[in-house]
Amino acid sequence: MDFSFTTKEEEFRHELRTWLEENLPEGWLDGTSKISKNEGEYAIFLRNWQRKLYEGGWAAIAWPEKYGGREATLMEEIVYQQEMVRVKAPALVNYVGIHMVAPTLMQIGTEEQKSKYIQKILTGEEVWCQGYSEPNAGSDLSAIQTSAVKDGDRWIINGQKVWTSFGHLADRCFLLARTNRFDKKHKGITVFLLDMNQPGVETRPIIQMDGQHDFNEVYLNDAIAYDAEIVGEVDEGWKVTIALLMHERTGIGGQVFTLEQQFNELVSLTKELKEDDQPLMANPLVRKEMIDLYTRTRGSLLNYYRNLTKTLKNGHPGAEGSMDKLMVSELTKELLSQSISLQGHQGILWKEDAITANSYWQNNYLYSFGQTIGGGTSEIQKNTIGERILGLPKDMGR
Amino acid sequence: MDFSLNQEQEMFRGYVRKYLDDAGQTKTAREFIKGETESLQSILTGMAELGCTSINISENYGGMGLGPLDLIPVLEETGRSLLPGLYLETNALAVPLLEKFGTEEQKERYLSEISNGTKSFSLAWLEPGGSYNPSGINLAVKEENNHLVLNGVKSLVPDAELADHYIVLGRTSTGNGKEGISLIIIDRTATNMTIQSQKNIDETRRLAELIFTNVEIPMNQILGPLNHGWETLQEGLLSFNAALSAVIVGSMEKVVEMAAEYAKIREQFGQPIGRFQAIKHRIVDMKMDLETARSLAYYANWALESNAEDRVQAISCARLFATDAFTRISSDNIQIHGGIGFTEEIDCHLFVKRARFYENYLGSTEHYYNQAATALGWSNKDEAIISV
Repeated sequence: MDFSFTTKEEEFRHELRTWLEENLPEGWLDGTSKISKNEGEYAIFLRNWQRKLYEGGWAAIAWPEKYGGREATLMEEIVYQQEMVRVKAPALVNYVGIHMVAPTLMQIGTEEQKSKYIQKILTGEEVWCQGYSEPNAGSDLSAIQTSAVKDGDRWIINGQKVWTSFGHLADRCFLLARTNRFDKKHKGITVFLLDMNQPGVETRPIIQMDGQHDFNEVYLNDAIAYDAEIVGEVDEGWKVTIALLMHERTGIGGQVFTLEQQFNELVSLTKELKEDDQPLMANPLVRKEMIDLYTRTRGSLLNYYRNLTKTLKNGHPGAEGSMDKLMVSELTKELLSQSISLQGHQGILWKEDAITANSYWQNNYLYSFGQTIGGGTSEIQKNTIGERILGLPKDMGR
Repeated sequence: MDFSLNQEQEMFRGYVRKYLDDAGQTKTAREFIKGETESLQSILTGMAELGCTSINISENYGGMGLGPLDLIPVLEETGRSLLPGLYLETNALAVPLLEKFGTEEQKERYLSEISNGTKSFSLAWLEPGGSYNPSGINLAVKEENNHLVLNGVKSLVPDAELADHYIVLGRTSTGNGKEGISLIIIDRTATNMTIQSQKNIDETRRLAELIFTNVEIPMNQILGPLNHGWETLQEGLLSFNAALSAVIVGSMEKVVEMAAEYAKIREQFGQPIGRFQAIKHRIVDMKMDLETARSLAYYANWALESNAEDRVQAISCARLFATDAFTRISSDNIQIHGGIGFTEEIDCHLFVKRARFYENYLGSTEHYYNQAATALGWSNKDEAIISV
């Protein structure tokens, strides 16, 4: 057993940390930055940040060198996530492009697709979104109805996508559409690399319960895609989506480290908040809750490291990623719920009236409800764990 | 980064697993319940031959000189088969105490005996009233004619009839605080000591009262510094609790396997019940508890072995989580099994009973919450906290 990072990994950490300190927006680290949250301006800020990462060589560290990456090891990717969480770095607006689209194209894309898209993903010139979920295809993704009908070398696409992160900023979409109907719903789906900037594509915002706008509805009315924009084989898009999951080597590392950070912040809050001049931490009932949270937060981090050890040995992630996802998202929700309770009735104060700066806990608490839904609900994770790890019989209907 | 047991440790687990599987897993525990201890004795002899009893004993006394992580596979496997007896108490409490605090004479005698598997230890801590606090220690130990004379009663002493020796908490000086408590090693055969068994839910473990009436023992039977036995014990308990967490992980693993296997073969409404999410998701929750308990237990043993700064909180939290989760999932296992799970015939109940045995074993849940709080620097000083 060895929980240490190698000298090389620590050097990598130091290099990244130094770069972040020099390149994060002014005031970012001490919380005095004046970045506008106005939607249009924030979008520009995020695209600029993506560009800055590229220029510093930090946009796609795990990519092969020939595509502009630095062939980072899995452990360097872990360090990268730790450091990004540590400074609460701005969101990666081209996450889908860098972590999903490009690695898939590198593996199974045509030469033309590789040369046309990969470089622009890296530079942030083209931002990508993911066109998976539909109003009637959420957990049951294979139930998608958006259709693509062949017309010469073109495909005419009609339907509706939903929960499309950063769809309002995206230039292209990694889109699943039905091109055929077979007995098995998984067959007959095709992946398209759809141009978002065309008349047949309309994006409408979805405002979340935390007041933010990350998600969108995307309406496709006679949108056009070309043969050259198909990934893999026609009707075999499901295999492409499965292959894509294998690129997520670090699993939910970012969320694990964020949970750890939020736990430490919660400890500070529990020591700062007072009742009858005594810190809340002096209350044995509160302390017991905090020890339980400590234990489970440590447990989820250690589970993650144990699964990471397996990934390092096997060279690819296993179904255990579902266990990490389930535990961390559920625990994050509980921890943030506790952060609201600890503030008493003042816990419901929001935005500029909240008792902690920037309504930090309220915003994170409201956001946390999405974490046990997005990326596969907790119930879907439990099916995966039950079936793939415990060998229980498959769910009815599948 | 490598958070896993090493190849040798996993290989050793394989040997012990095979040995205990061949012996019929819980068969030994079931025979023990009926009062037949022969198969247990033969298993313990066999385990000693495999080397289980000598793992963490110094080479000077016939051991392998290995650490807590090397003990994990054996501990887990004993938990898996609900093995009766005092392996845990002997190798994870008495051994670390003797190694660290024993006199040369004590080590020479007791460690060699333990190493070759011929002798075992139990701990006599509680007294009638059942308080683990220092104020609960009233067994009087007086010095007379260069001897120690013991008077009083010890209660809930684990497997008192199986043990060859006891580590006894006695009061060697007046008062009722931590100071004045000493640890004393006493043989089961001591004159003027009687053993009265106490019935217990977990019949795979036996409890008894020890009644001391002018029991005379030599002065050199004191283990560790006189009057500072409480602090000495806390050191031993760190090893014990790290090990206990691993035993529980072994039991929990078996419980999850039982539930999953049953859910695959039991059919209702024309299909295996494991297909129903109400069942499937409950078993997944059990699995999550198991893996978390395992991570915490392995880390606790690593922290102990490497003397890490966070070892006290790591160990107390591993114990707290394991004891709580074991009770929860062993109870769920009965529910998954339905009616058959409620019967004596199926092993489900044995695991629940063992879980309850461990819940407040050698320290209460509350005590370990306080220990964790102190270690984390979260406790306020004006409260009476028992700490190491």
